[in-house]
Amino acid sequence: MDKSGTDKAILMAAFARIDPVALALALGSLCALVLFAMTAILLIKGSPPGIETGDHLSLLGIYLPGYAVNWPGACLGAVYGGILGAIGGFVLALFWNLTHYLYITAIVVRAAWWRMMAE
Amino acid sequence: MNDTRQAGNSQVELNHDLLRAAVKVNTWLLAAVFACVGGLSLFMMTYISLYRGLPDPGQFLNLLGVFLPGYSVSHLGAWIGMFWGALIGAIMAIIFYRIYARSIASQVSEFMASDRPDRDLLGTTLRMDGNYLGLALGTIFALGLLSTTNWLVLRGTAHESRHAALLSEYLPGYSVSVTGSLIGAVEVFACLYLLCLLFSGIYNRTVVLRGR
Repeated sequence: MDKSGTDKAILMAAFARIDPVALALALGSLCALVLFAMTAILLIKGSPPGIETGDHLSLLGIYLPGYAVNWPGACLGAVYGGILGAIGGFVLALFWNLTHYLYITAIVVRAAWWRMMAE
Repeated sequence: MNDTRQAGNSQVELNHDLLRAAVKVNTWLLAAVFACVGGLSLFMMTYISLYRGLPDPGQFLNLLGVFLPGYSVSHLGAWIGMFWGALIGAIMAIIFYRIYARSIASQVSEFMASDRPDRDLLGTTLRMDGNYLGLALGTIFALGLLSTTNWLVLRGTAHESRHAALLSEYLPGYSVSVTGSLIGAVEVFACLYLLCLLFSGIYNRTVVLRGR
């Protein structure tokens, strides 16, 4: 295997871009699952008589209108988790790819500048 | 410095200086991204709490002040929170990438053994390594739980930390104590490791389905 081939492979592995759609789908699915599971665990475990189930988790309703610790709330939480996770994943992938493009562009421009100055 | 690895039937000689330089660049880029995300997130959460108009704004968010000196749900606190969010985000990113980058060497070997070497340098799509992703995220969050719990123990407020103790709803055996933090850290690591395997599985399958 020639050296330039492996060097290129290292750069390709290190600077590979993230697929925004795939990351949005993966993070969205995971956030939906986690928020549903967190709500469902509290509902299944229950709470002693006279104490409201999940009174702290239900504070998420401040940020997610309509969310509550009950079964419809768990489904709504999953939808919220899915949407927010997908948006977060998409933005994260765009940020990551953008920083790479900017960095590589800066290197190429700087190299071209020094080559021009040398000539 | 070079390192020889097996790729298919042939030997791949890795340029470790180049690999280290690439990892260093990626570490700083990821730290910059996470610093922006962490700082802005805490800043926005503080202002959302502040402008919701509830009788006691940031009743629970204020508790972050226990771990982040100077932070409170106020205008000044939002800026201090942005600083802490950016700092913690950057540190997490550095630890994360230093661990995750260990997968790059094996990815290069797989890449050289595959039929993809002719692709454009910037046209390659990342494949996640679920094992290293789980190892990295699991380590960060386990260390986070260990340090925050033991900070409460060291402050002598462990018995008052009823909000932190609520984690035992999700992490059986966890308590605000040294032993409880160790049990919780192991459980957090295990949960995150499994979630990362699921996450990378979904991501990689989607990339393949999209023909990237």
